[in-house]
Amino acid sequence: MVSAYTPPVQTLIDELGRLPGIGPKSAQRIAFHLLKLPSADVARLAHAINDAKDKVRFCERCFNVAEGALCPICADDRRDATVVCVVEESRDIVALERTGEFRGRYHVLLGAMNPLEGIGPEQLKIRELLTRIDAEGITEVILCTNPNTEGEVTAMYLARQLQPLGLTVTRIASGLPVGGDLEYADELTLGRALEGRRPVDDG
Amino acid sequence: MSELYRDSGVVLRTYKLREADRIVVLLTAANGKVRAVAKGVRKTRSKFGARLEPMSHVRVLLVRGRELDIVSQAESVEPLSPMLSSLDRASQGLAVLEAAEQLSLEREPNPDLYRMVVGAMRAIAERPAPLTVAGFYWKLLASEGMRPELDMCVRCGGTEPEVAFVAFDLGEGGVLCRSCRSGHPMSAEALEAVRDILGGRLAKALAMEESAVTHEVSLLATHALEYHVERRMRTVAMFE
Repeated sequence: MVSAYTPPVQTLIDELGRLPGIGPKSAQRIAFHLLKLPSADVARLAHAINDAKDKVRFCERCFNVAEGALCPICADDRRDATVVCVVEESRDIVALERTGEFRGRYHVLLGAMNPLEGIGPEQLKIRELLTRIDAEGITEVILCTNPNTEGEVTAMYLARQLQPLGLTVTRIASGLPVGGDLEYADELTLGRALEGRRPVDDG
Repeated sequence: MSELYRDSGVVLRTYKLREADRIVVLLTAANGKVRAVAKGVRKTRSKFGARLEPMSHVRVLLVRGRELDIVSQAESVEPLSPMLSSLDRASQGLAVLEAAEQLSLEREPNPDLYRMVVGAMRAIAERPAPLTVAGFYWKLLASEGMRPELDMCVRCGGTEPEVAFVAFDLGEGGVLCRSCRSGHPMSAEALEAVRDILGGRLAKALAMEESAVTHEVSLLATHALEYHVERRMRTVAMFE
């Protein structure tokens, strides 16, 4: 089929259409919106994309996204170097940081084990985690992978690798969301919440 | 167009779709392999997201679609938690799923396969024996019409006790005597274990402790299955 658009427009639509969650129709809408914008706005967007792509890389220590060699969290001396929280993606760090509960460092695996997709320990940053343990004097590793099958398998695999090193290995608890209703909870989550119950101390 | 139907199935695998949805691949009792969209299951507040993880055994209400069906409701038949209680159980469960995915066809009912997968999952949840996965693989091959010949040399037709079987050839699909031997070497104990698995004495095989024999039987089962489906079984290799 011959394209109805001039080649530059068609190229733009095609490129936009390759972005996640953007279909041909959305790509077309965004392309025409960009064409309507003042050149300065478009240049700013193009610059932002280029800039991010040029400057951002993975932190040498924890594989979080970083501007320099280390990410802001690893570069912060006030954080506790003895506790490391293992997550699947950089996005998870943002979620955990929002809690304000964690003062240690992170380690990003860049994925989770998924044998059916051929993602095994070698494809993840597991070896890098193991080398960090001694080098940084880590005493506790918190396994914060997602509570789904892949995440659980990854956590169990990591626990098996870490336990012989003689440090505390913990798994984040799973339970009911705050503000939720017990009657709508699924049995797996509710079962886990019961399993992980704790004594009430009225401090 | 929007036709509702009920079925029960085992979740073989899932793919992420858009922001919070998932495509689940189910091995169902009455409809074969079904691919369906589960909407919003990746959100924390999803009501049935937890039931649609790989290895879950669920009763589902599905809406038939053109390409993909839509999961309307899901309830657990058996709890998933034991499967995720140890790495051995989880890896064995995934190895079963991988084989089931390879051998099931979309919308092609295969109740035997479904029953075997459910049975294997139950066995693993109860006790992850060294030969559970191998037992499943051998039985799977047998039910797919690839039952190995274990009582007669596939080349010369010799039987016990005149000849002893010392090898197993994947291409020939059975055991071989000393003078005809080719393929993988096979010990007498391993042959006995495979005979137990395929001869209705599965419990005896599952009671075996981990040893060189269980290792040999497992390896041979994996090779036999890989030969049949012409693909590598990735889960088995990953957790060895």
